[in-house]
Amino acid sequence: MLAYVIRRFFQSIVVFLIVMLITFALPYFEPGGILQPALIVLGTHATPAAIHQWGVQNGIFHPFFVRFWDYLVQVCYHFNLGYSWKNGQTVWSLIALYVPRTIWLALISFILTLLIALPVGVLQASKRNSWFDYSMTNFFFVLYGIPAFLLSLLMIDWFIFGTIHLQLPPSDGSALEIFTHPSGFIVPVVTLAILNLAFFSRFMRSAVLDVLVQDYIRTAKAKGCSQRRILFKHAFRNALGPIITIVGLSIPGLFGGALIIEEVFNYEGVGYETVNAAVYKDIPTVLGITLLITIFTLVGNLLADIGLGIVNPRIRVEGK
Amino acid sequence: MSQLNETNPFSLDGPAEDRAKATTSTASTVVPLWKQRLRIFLQNKLAIASVVYLVLIVLFCYVGPLLWHFNETNQAAALFNTTNAPPSAHDILGTDGSGFDVFGRIMYGGEYSLSLGMLAGFITIIVGTIYGMISGFIGGAVDASLMRILDALLSIPIIFLLLTMITIFPRTSTNLIIIIGVIGWFGNARIIRGDALVIKELEYSQASRAMGAGWWHIVRRHVFPNSVSNIVTVATFAVADAILFLTTLGYLGLGIPAPATDWGTMLNNAASVQPFYWWQVYPLAAVFILVVVAITYIGEALRDAFEVRLLER
Repeated sequence: MLAYVIRRFFQSIVVFLIVMLITFALPYFEPGGILQPALIVLGTHATPAAIHQWGVQNGIFHPFFVRFWDYLVQVCYHFNLGYSWKNGQTVWSLIALYVPRTIWLALISFILTLLIALPVGVLQASKRNSWFDYSMTNFFFVLYGIPAFLLSLLMIDWFIFGTIHLQLPPSDGSALEIFTHPSGFIVPVVTLAILNLAFFSRFMRSAVLDVLVQDYIRTAKAKGCSQRRILFKHAFRNALGPIITIVGLSIPGLFGGALIIEEVFNYEGVGYETVNAAVYKDIPTVLGITLLITIFTLVGNLLADIGLGIVNPRIRVEGK
Repeated sequence: MSQLNETNPFSLDGPAEDRAKATTSTASTVVPLWKQRLRIFLQNKLAIASVVYLVLIVLFCYVGPLLWHFNETNQAAALFNTTNAPPSAHDILGTDGSGFDVFGRIMYGGEYSLSLGMLAGFITIIVGTIYGMISGFIGGAVDASLMRILDALLSIPIIFLLLTMITIFPRTSTNLIIIIGVIGWFGNARIIRGDALVIKELEYSQASRAMGAGWWHIVRRHVFPNSVSNIVTVATFAVADAILFLTTLGYLGLGIPAPATDWGTMLNNAASVQPFYWWQVYPLAAVFILVVVAITYIGEALRDAFEVRLLER
């Protein structure tokens, strides 16, 4: 098991280095050259001397790999992601401010998703091809087809300006705002949960269906287990393996979905900040946040694999 | 074609199926492969409806503006229009926040959304095919390293990658096509690589190689034709994804800069007033969702049509 974890860990590090190389190299492809950002920082009327000075200060004239090494040392050793060009704050301080807010939003809605999607998936699988199964399938198909921004737009129209007035309170910027003013966050949390609902219940349904045809289920039936016990004791447990993997793999999707929700509902999280930074062409902020989310993704994948190894001993042995 | 084969059974042109049948049995029972595929495709009623709908939307967006002469692009004239006017006999879907006619605006924005989406989807599939083919066909260390790079690219959440690219490059139509095209191919490459990996080991490829065929011949005659089914299916989904990405970007205010517009930017403008005016959102949203759903249905029908097990043998 340990060897397996270590091997997966080093694979993740290689992938992370490639990601860093990609994000670091991207600004090189900017039309107008690598000094183009100086015009954003210093203003469009900067003199050539000032631009040159900025380039020297930021080590732009060093060779590519020298710069990449400096960047690696800064990010991995000093945890320094640079300064935002928009307001001069460190990117790290922006992340510390916004990431917890996003994590709370995503986490709560994710728990809500699983609480609804997993039982629905199990029920759909157990009552396969019934009217319940068909209607849920079609309902989720429609949900899956609606893009995130459109669903949020409609949710705002129906629930915030429509019958129930559940508006977000004016932000006080604290990370735990979602707990201090819960009523204002019902609509965004539910919207984000609905976005993930279709995917997870579909997945749970097929995972349980796969399990229900196995021999041990037949054995359980033969020895007279109740339907309920078979479903929730045998089938559900064995279907959890694929679910753990997919939860780990869906972390980027969760942040991506949260990005749209934050932007539409004006919730100042990491996605909101990224879109703002993108509008202002604030390259260090966007790169820093992207890098951080990538780390979350890699850690999520790693944990998913380890979790799967714990749940399913077969993988553990193959991994050796 | 079958007529020709009957007179000359050894004719080398024409589909392989025709030739094989013509030499063994009567040609009257032969159904060309593409006809069988078309028949399977046409059995799917939803797919036909989707094709009809897409053709209508394409005509609406590209031919419509030639016939519909209300104000959708003239900013000077829009100044004198009532803004946010409800639907009336003159503007059948009302006007937007700038006084443009919404009905005409849907056509005008659709031109951008559809063209850019299709071109970006096209780039996606070309890059994905080439990358997947190289990785799968060469195999070994090249495959391993190319797949690690793909792992790295796939582990960056796609919307963040999109925003990074949008931050760095100026937002012109061409750049948007290239950016979405460059970002969308990862999944496609993985599917096509899997195909190439399997097909190059199959008997007919091995036989071809044993007879001294070069790698280009094997790719051209065996690997590519046999993975075409997946490529076509993946391409349809790629176009749907590209349109979705473009619209999402537009909605985030990062779409095509004014005075041009696309559907996402239109929805963004409509949503900037809250509560929004229904005629600016619902008709456009319905048109847009149905376009994405229609393309998805066509993709699924194409997958069925290329499914070998459903063909007559």
